Amino acid sequence: MRCERLNWDLLVRALDKELSPGEAVWVPAHLAECAACRQECEAIESVSLQLEAIVNRSAVVEDRADREFFAERIRQQERLKPPKQAPEKVMRRFGWGMAIAATLALGIIVAPKPRPRNVMTDSAPAEQASAAISNAIEVDGETFVALPYSNPDLPASAPRIVQMQVPLSSLADIGIALEPLANEVLNHTVLNQDRTVLADVLLGADGQPLGVHVVSWE
Amino acid sequence: MEQGRVLTFSAVPWKIESVENGNNSSRLLLDLYDREQTPLKRYLAMLGVDAETARDVVQDSFLKLHEHLLAGGDQGNLRAWLYRVVHNNARNKQTSFGARNTGRIDDLPPTASPVARDPSAEERLLEQEREQRLRLAMEKLSEAQRACLVLRTQGLKYREIAEALELSVSTVGENVQRGLERLRELV
Repeated sequence: MRCERLNWDLLVRALDKELSPGEAVWVPAHLAECAACRQECEAIESVSLQLEAIVNRSAVVEDRADREFFAERIRQQERLKPPKQAPEKVMRRFGWGMAIAATLALGIIVAPKPRPRNVMTDSAPAEQASAAISNAIEVDGETFVALPYSNPDLPASAPRIVQMQVPLSSLADIGIALEPLANEVLNHTVLNQDRTVLADVLLGADGQPLGVHVVSWE
Repeated sequence: MEQGRVLTFSAVPWKIESVENGNNSSRLLLDLYDREQTPLKRYLAMLGVDAETARDVVQDSFLKLHEHLLAGGDQGNLRAWLYRVVHNNARNKQTSFGARNTGRIDDLPPTASPVARDPSAEERLLEQEREQRLRLAMEKLSEAQRACLVLRTQGLKYREIAEALELSVSTVGENVQRGLERLRELV
């Protein structure tokens, strides 16, 4: 009659010494007093031993020539593959690499988007030049060159347009050069004299200049 | 000049005591190979891997172990690590283990059983019949059951078997139990 107290799982694990600490207390105690479970355990042990005998008597090839070949492969590996760095060292270096890469990536994301240098030359009409500027602001049919700190993607809320004399040096500071490129050296001289141009300046609701449109220049 | 490492195995199997600069790791690997190649090949033979494939698999796996150790890899459980590499290498060479393979376990030449060293002819016959039944019964087990049972005969703990076969410890226990139950029914 089979005792129901110990199932096969417990019997096998008892034999393999794989019982949990709790089981290791009561299972051996039960085995000591239950002949049916002991008998079952002996049957498992018998099958296990037979299997072990079969496995350990399996014929395997241990050829001397194979061993020599393997020895040569190992030596070759030792010669060709110098020891690599320990994983922790590799990880340390990898960590630094990741930190540098992350910093660069952050810099690219955070850095202000470079704006194209707006060049308006004597030979090119102002309309053509402003059309070529991607971040131009269009208000009441008039095109303004967006100032670097303004956001052309935001609508200019309650803007005002004020016509004023704007120093060339100020325009140069925001990347608008009103001289042919070939005359840049001369331009510096001219700018030093602080010449002005008549321009429409687009002001935001808070009085912040958002864009500029040169009206005339002598 | 960069020198190779010396891998010093301790008296405890599968534990490497120290790794220093030097140039004799190949000797230690060979010592380990001499000691462990037979159980590894037996394991593969019981899974139905032919002798030639088993030789290649075992050698390749030892080269990987050498590489792993030279790279300062984890030595937590090298025996389970090596069995896992052997198992996976063998699987890469053969899509499945077992009856379809060339080296069937019942093709293995029977050798003298320690139990039957000098028994009577009748006893010897009975022993051989029992052995034959067990071998055939082994073929009827699932691959996982067979692998778990064979690794168990090689002295691996359930935790090591689990690591080698990439199973949970409870699944190993289940495979061992069901495999033994099945063998007992069939034999």
